[in-house]
Amino acid sequence: MLSAVELTKRFGDITAVDDLSFDLDAGSVTGFLGPNGAGKTTTMRMLLGLAEPDHGRALVFGRPFAELERPGTRVGAVLEAADLHPGRTARDHLRVLAEVARVPPSRVKEVLALVDLNEAADRRVKGYSLGMRQRLGLAAALLGDPELLILDEPANGLDPEGVRWLRDFLRTFAAQGRTVFVSSHLLAEVAQTVDQVVIINHGRLVAESSLSELTARLAGSVLVAAARPDALEAALHDAGVAATERENGALHVHGVSADRVGEIALAAKIPVRQLVTESSSLEDVFLELTAEPPS
Amino acid sequence: MSRQLRSELLKLRTTRTAAVLLLAAAALALLGIAAEGLSPTPGELAPEDEQRLLFGSAATNAVLFATFVGLLAVTNEFRYGTIRPTLLFEPRRRVVLAAKLAAAALAGIVFAVVCLLVAFGAGLAILAARDVDVALTGAHTLTLMLGTIAASALSAMLGVTVGALIRNQVGAIVALFAYVLAVDAVLFATVPSVGRYLPGQANNALAGLPDDELLAPGVGAAVVMAWTLAFIALAALRTDRSDV
Repeated sequence: MLSAVELTKRFGDITAVDDLSFDLDAGSVTGFLGPNGAGKTTTMRMLLGLAEPDHGRALVFGRPFAELERPGTRVGAVLEAADLHPGRTARDHLRVLAEVARVPPSRVKEVLALVDLNEAADRRVKGYSLGMRQRLGLAAALLGDPELLILDEPANGLDPEGVRWLRDFLRTFAAQGRTVFVSSHLLAEVAQTVDQVVIINHGRLVAESSLSELTARLAGSVLVAAARPDALEAALHDAGVAATERENGALHVHGVSADRVGEIALAAKIPVRQLVTESSSLEDVFLELTAEPPS
Repeated sequence: MSRQLRSELLKLRTTRTAAVLLLAAAALALLGIAAEGLSPTPGELAPEDEQRLLFGSAATNAVLFATFVGLLAVTNEFRYGTIRPTLLFEPRRRVVLAAKLAAAALAGIVFAVVCLLVAFGAGLAILAARDVDVALTGAHTLTLMLGTIAASALSAMLGVTVGALIRNQVGAIVALFAYVLAVDAVLFATVPSVGRYLPGQANNALAGLPDDELLAPGVGAAVVMAWTLAFIALAALRTDRSDV
């Protein structure tokens, strides 16, 4: 449905996208993640035919974007900071594009209602908030009732209510068997929406997996608070559990189950006040994956 | 009419840019006619050449502002990023360029017609008020009208190509002014045998302005068309290749 094949793009000495390959299935919501400057926008621009790769191919429905017939009815896209003329009204912005997409004028009204911009539709865009601009960009992307949505940081500038609205919208969209490719520099922002992720850093692929696979990478640890932490630590060491950290008198124990920690404490006759399994967050995994490589 | 052309025409009508430029062109045309028609004595206004100059002042304004409409139609897309939605709906860049050229040409024709209406309306009124007989011949009137319309349409297209080549709005405007004031006019004043082939002077010839150093209107038309085609070719190459 959407694929990058050895995609490479350089700007002078900087390689913005470096030999990037991935492939999206139809009917999925894929998060395209990476820190700011990782090459997400450049990749999306190449997928949309706005930028020419130096090497490799960017394909949508198996073809370069420019070769699609009436692309507005197949792919809807919003790039960062919705591209709008400040002196044009929302309705006119949509009419201009609807003309090319060959959709009836009634569709303009429909998408305005869909993104809740009916009341502001005849105001010039210069008075719009960032959130309204984002929604207008989304309305334009939806004009042709596309089967694929490509969104670059759509949550930027949205208030919490707007983020929630967007999440619900994308879920509904995907539930109709359509496909969403949405970028974000924050995993938490999309974790509840996406079912798979493509993670890049410095223009290179870091991970391409389902969200559940990513979750499975979560390293668990056990938090144990005991009356005599030193004794407990010693007992754990004797039992062959080396990875422990002290925090306010409690211990974080890695690589072992809570049951086992309890057994060791019981065998050493150390009273335990608290014993919990804790898992690191998805965000931790994301940060770990995209951490600067040691130089 | 192609979808893209309709879209481009709608773009021109849905911001104030083109309307403001049209108003400015009409106002300056009126001002020009008033200055040319009121300052000379009635006797000085009587010769046909003088009246060609008077009515021809419409052409200068129409051409200048038509160029701007074309230039802004492109550079505004880059300035505000609307080029991206435009190309997402029509990724064939040459189709977009062609539609912009056509829309700008139509706008140029509107500019010419409005400026001509202003010029002839005010000019004839001034001549009548000052008891000067209209000496302009039918043939020259026709040349002036058709020439102004053609020159404005072609200039608007040239404006589109300049915008497509330079993209940066301020840069394109500065380049256009620098060219018109420092190259076109200066070269024509110093070396008319060369300067007359430049687009600005060829446009003046096409519009039928009376100046012995200018080319004949028909030759002027051919020269402007050659310039326009050359610039369209360059703009097409630039459009094909660049990232947006």
